[in-house]
Amino acid sequence: MGYVAVKGGIQAIEESIKRLKYERLKKGTVLKFQQIEGGMRCLIDQVMSESSLYSETLAAMAIKQAEGSPEEAVFLLRAYRSTLPRKHYSRTVQSEDMSVERRISSSFKEIPGGQILGTANDYTHRLIDFDLNEETEHDALEWLREYALERGVDNDQADLSNLPKTLDYLREEGLIPTFEINSDEPDDVTKESLHFPTSRSQRLQILTRGQTGAVTSLGYAALRSYGALHPTVGELRIGKLPIYVDSPFQDQKEDEDAYYIGEIKVTEVETLFPAEVQKGNGEKEIEFEIGYGICYGQNETKAIAMSILDRCLETANPEYPTHNEEFVLLHIDSVESTGFISHLKLPHYVTFQSKLDSVRKTKK
Amino acid sequence: MIRKRRTMILIKGSSDVPAKLAQEIQDSYEVKTIEESNNGLVMIKAREKAKQSLFYLGEVLITECKVMINGFLGIGMVQGHQPELAHNLAVIDAAYNASLAETDAWTKVLLIEENRINEENQTFMNKVLKTKVNFDTMNV
Repeated sequence: MGYVAVKGGIQAIEESIKRLKYERLKKGTVLKFQQIEGGMRCLIDQVMSESSLYSETLAAMAIKQAEGSPEEAVFLLRAYRSTLPRKHYSRTVQSEDMSVERRISSSFKEIPGGQILGTANDYTHRLIDFDLNEETEHDALEWLREYALERGVDNDQADLSNLPKTLDYLREEGLIPTFEINSDEPDDVTKESLHFPTSRSQRLQILTRGQTGAVTSLGYAALRSYGALHPTVGELRIGKLPIYVDSPFQDQKEDEDAYYIGEIKVTEVETLFPAEVQKGNGEKEIEFEIGYGICYGQNETKAIAMSILDRCLETANPEYPTHNEEFVLLHIDSVESTGFISHLKLPHYVTFQSKLDSVRKTKK
Repeated sequence: MIRKRRTMILIKGSSDVPAKLAQEIQDSYEVKTIEESNNGLVMIKAREKAKQSLFYLGEVLITECKVMINGFLGIGMVQGHQPELAHNLAVIDAAYNASLAETDAWTKVLLIEENRINEENQTFMNKVLKTKVNFDTMNV
């Protein structure tokens, strides 16, 4: 049986797309993307993180067009991103420069600068607030006005733009291995396709843009049974990182001469894993290893799960799939995984017919 | 004022400030547009703490504009889609690069705006610090 070229379906496709618009508009509600940007903070953070493109406004537009589907919104943003030129690379950002809005540690009670709860769902009852049904813009503005009038603390000298890293004092005690600053240029998975074994920079880039659900599930699997790890969160911090770009026309890249272009909100996590280390004299010692997680926006579960997977992939224990970089890295990207699953909906008439023929033959 | 500091004030502060400063230059000099405000990406290079290595965190949408005044180039770069602000930043950058006399008086304006930004930031931080935990040891 040969291939048979067929055509048709144009009108059906046009009508199908019309149905998509109908479903989006049928209740007569037109969402302004400013409303999405204002009220869907966490969804916007998730979409920006998974699409690896930081723009709250673009994310809000994509969410509107995708009717709230994160996978479709991420697809739209990745597609749009591919049409834009990459004009610059930033100067290196580091979390010590973060303007912190939340910072906790589950390893130490007393940490320099204190446990700052900031904004979090963790301490809520998770009961649906039916009063939101009655909320009006007037109520919102009134609440904001009253909140603005509330006094902040006036006796705390902590500088949230310069908070020390919680784990630094463990480093000073020699309980965590210290590493020299490594300024090797990172690999870029958006420029070159992945080959195994991967570099650390490739692993971190893929993990940080991974689908939230996939990263969380695999991190959970590593905790529950595939490696049976139980890390402790050394520090979780959320806040804004300033972004600077060097002048493209000056050879001398002086820090003070850089352009400030804005700031991005990120979640960063360092988790501690106790590990047995063989010393030179043959004796074994227990030391802490660190797992590192970071992602755009406030997405704490993803950042913690990323730190677990980072540690798994560094350990690379062959017993567990969660420690296998091919298994983890090739399956957590939103566009790749949803795209491949979705392709199953495309016509497979010829291949299926061939399989059907085979089945018929075996039945004879 | 150095570029790092002034660009932070001009972007974090009120957009009226860069609009006013850029207008002042445009009223007195010929500003040649080299590159209209247009969108592009900046890839963020980050250092992770576990092993102190570098990796790419992701991209940020920016608007960029280039202008020339008296043969001196100015670049305006800002996060997001902000064509007007990018243009104003480019004019101000060119004015500084060309050492135009007007820029001497701008230091005062920028310092006032910086003070305002710092005050706002302090108010914000003081609210965040209200969420700091005070641990009391329980008597059991």
